[in-house]
Amino acid sequence: MRPSRIWQIAKKEIVSTLRDRRALLSNLVIPLLLLPVMMLGLPLLMGGLFERETVTVTDVGVVGVDNVPAALRAALEAQNVALVSVEDATAAVQADEVPVAIVVPPGFEADIAAGGDATVGVHAKTGNIRSELNVGKVQQAVSVYQQAVVAERLGRAGLDPSVLQPVTVEMVDASSAAERSSGQLSWLIPFFIAIWTLTGGQMTAIDATAGEKERGTLEVLLVAPVRRSEVVFGKFIATLTFGLTAALMAIVGYLLGGALMRSVFLPRLGDDATGMVSIMGGTFNASLGTIGLLLISALLLSSFVAAMLLSISLFARSFKEAQSYIAPLSFLFIIPVLVLQFKDLIGLGDGVYYIPVLNVLVYMDDVVRGAATVEHMAITWVTLIIATLILLAFANRNFTRENVIFRT
Amino acid sequence: MISVRNLTKSFTSGGGAGGTTGAGSRAGAGSRTGAFSLRRQPGAGTAPGSVVAVDDLSFEVAAGEVYGLLGPNGAGKTTTLRILATLLEADSGSATVAGHDVRTEPEAVRAAIGVVNGGMGLYDRLTGREILHYFGALYGMTPAAVEARIEVLDQLLQLGDTLPRRAGGFSTGMKQKVVIARAVIHDPPVIFFDEATSGLDIVARRNVIDFVQAYPTEQRCVVYSTHVMSEVEELCQRACIIYQGAKMAEGTIAEIVAAGEGRNLEDAFFRMVSRKSMAAEPVPA
Repeated sequence: MRPSRIWQIAKKEIVSTLRDRRALLSNLVIPLLLLPVMMLGLPLLMGGLFERETVTVTDVGVVGVDNVPAALRAALEAQNVALVSVEDATAAVQADEVPVAIVVPPGFEADIAAGGDATVGVHAKTGNIRSELNVGKVQQAVSVYQQAVVAERLGRAGLDPSVLQPVTVEMVDASSAAERSSGQLSWLIPFFIAIWTLTGGQMTAIDATAGEKERGTLEVLLVAPVRRSEVVFGKFIATLTFGLTAALMAIVGYLLGGALMRSVFLPRLGDDATGMVSIMGGTFNASLGTIGLLLISALLLSSFVAAMLLSISLFARSFKEAQSYIAPLSFLFIIPVLVLQFKDLIGLGDGVYYIPVLNVLVYMDDVVRGAATVEHMAITWVTLIIATLILLAFANRNFTRENVIFRT
Repeated sequence: MISVRNLTKSFTSGGGAGGTTGAGSRAGAGSRTGAFSLRRQPGAGTAPGSVVAVDDLSFEVAAGEVYGLLGPNGAGKTTTLRILATLLEADSGSATVAGHDVRTEPEAVRAAIGVVNGGMGLYDRLTGREILHYFGALYGMTPAAVEARIEVLDQLLQLGDTLPRRAGGFSTGMKQKVVIARAVIHDPPVIFFDEATSGLDIVARRNVIDFVQAYPTEQRCVVYSTHVMSEVEELCQRACIIYQGAKMAEGTIAEIVAAGEGRNLEDAFFRMVSRKSMAAEPVPA
């Protein structure tokens, strides 16, 4: 293979893609912005909404408002609840007059005072976030009232309330600092890299193969004194460049989101939002070593995807046909990511590091959580390199097959 | 400069790779135009389900000559040119182009040829100049050599506006100019034109014909493949009529007209085809 010919072919494909605005948008802009928006925007939005609902005084419907004991009323008002009398609890909630309604039966206070028990009916819409947030307020108020009643009853019996809790459970977070900071959704990072590699590389791969066939330029290119392997490698480099660029943009976006979160937003957020940021991995602080491992893994993953894209899209007669072949490839990443979410429950063994794509997703997740080992790194990287070479050999073979090249 | 000896090529049904506009796949199922079957059905020694695209074809093209390959769509012209351009491999027979064997020296053959086809495919996001530099570099030319050649071709083809503009905005005529310039950027001794005037308006078609007339010298030749009889009459010193993949007649235009006993080339062609069809017609029991 002659490097100058490979470079000529790669350069032409790169220039051609760079002049396509759609490709630039999907390669550079969207992967850069999407992760920060998800990391910052979602917690800010959700946290803000939760906080607003918590501090806002909400109307809660009551059937039998006169039956509400003063202590329970005080507990409810302490939770920013205003009691509104309604006739029918379910109807009031269904009509969105109130997010939640309670039913306090006659004789409620007397029964409690007599040492008996009583029921508070809570009517709410299951699955409605606002309704459920206000159910939380009501439950909190009832719990406070209940503790007061229990304390009073125990006091009358000459017992201390602590008698009900002879054993105290003390939770200690045993995860590593990296695991804590990467968040429960750390699998999102390798997933985004994989998806953006696929998205970023596909326009170039299709344009360089099925697109050339459709335009009738592939035949002219193959008539030039250039070897098929040089054509394959040139187009592979161009596809890899854009796949990798999109993946790098996704990583930069992720790091940018983390930095912004730490320096600007985190100090201003309430407890709810801070908790969600932690779950999303927004406090992840990557070291240079971690970034290096992620970059090499992303490079190998991009190489594999680029080789796969070339092999598949060369079969297609047209750009559209190639897109329809490539669209299902997303599942190749989505299924491993589903596995990755439940890896703790499934208990993935070492064999997973021998399966291309799944291995690099698991390994990158390990890196993000600070749990990667040298052995797993070696198995993952070597397996991916071998799989990529096999795919490139397959693409090269297809470039010499008459029924593939002239399948128009 | 070109020697073709007993060239044969078959395709499995539906998997044909011949035809300028995908005619191969149609012909693969044994297509017909009017009363004439364009592809010969397989005979003895051919795999079942396959169609013979080129059948024992032989011809020679000398330097300084414009040689016509004449035949209806699906007759095997494009398949023949693709074999000569090393894009397809013949099942049997041999061919040399500019002294190089198409089977054993494909890279040397490709360096010695240029191909202009009717598809007029160009890279929409590259300018005319960038396209010519790209192909020049693939032929091993330096940027300075490409620029010098562009100047020559600009005089010959009036490339003008096509050089700084992106190909996506080209008219059909502009596209055809750049397609021709691309094919001859490396000044090849052999150039193949395959239905090169297909879809062109009258002015663009005239430019192609003028270029073909001017191109051959003592060191160059042109193979001009078409189904348009008048173009062959105007351009070619000699021609080969291909029908069902096989040679039906060869010689100067006057010789072919005489052999077909026609008033002109088109008339002679139809008379020859009719005679051949009648000869092949099974005698009713």
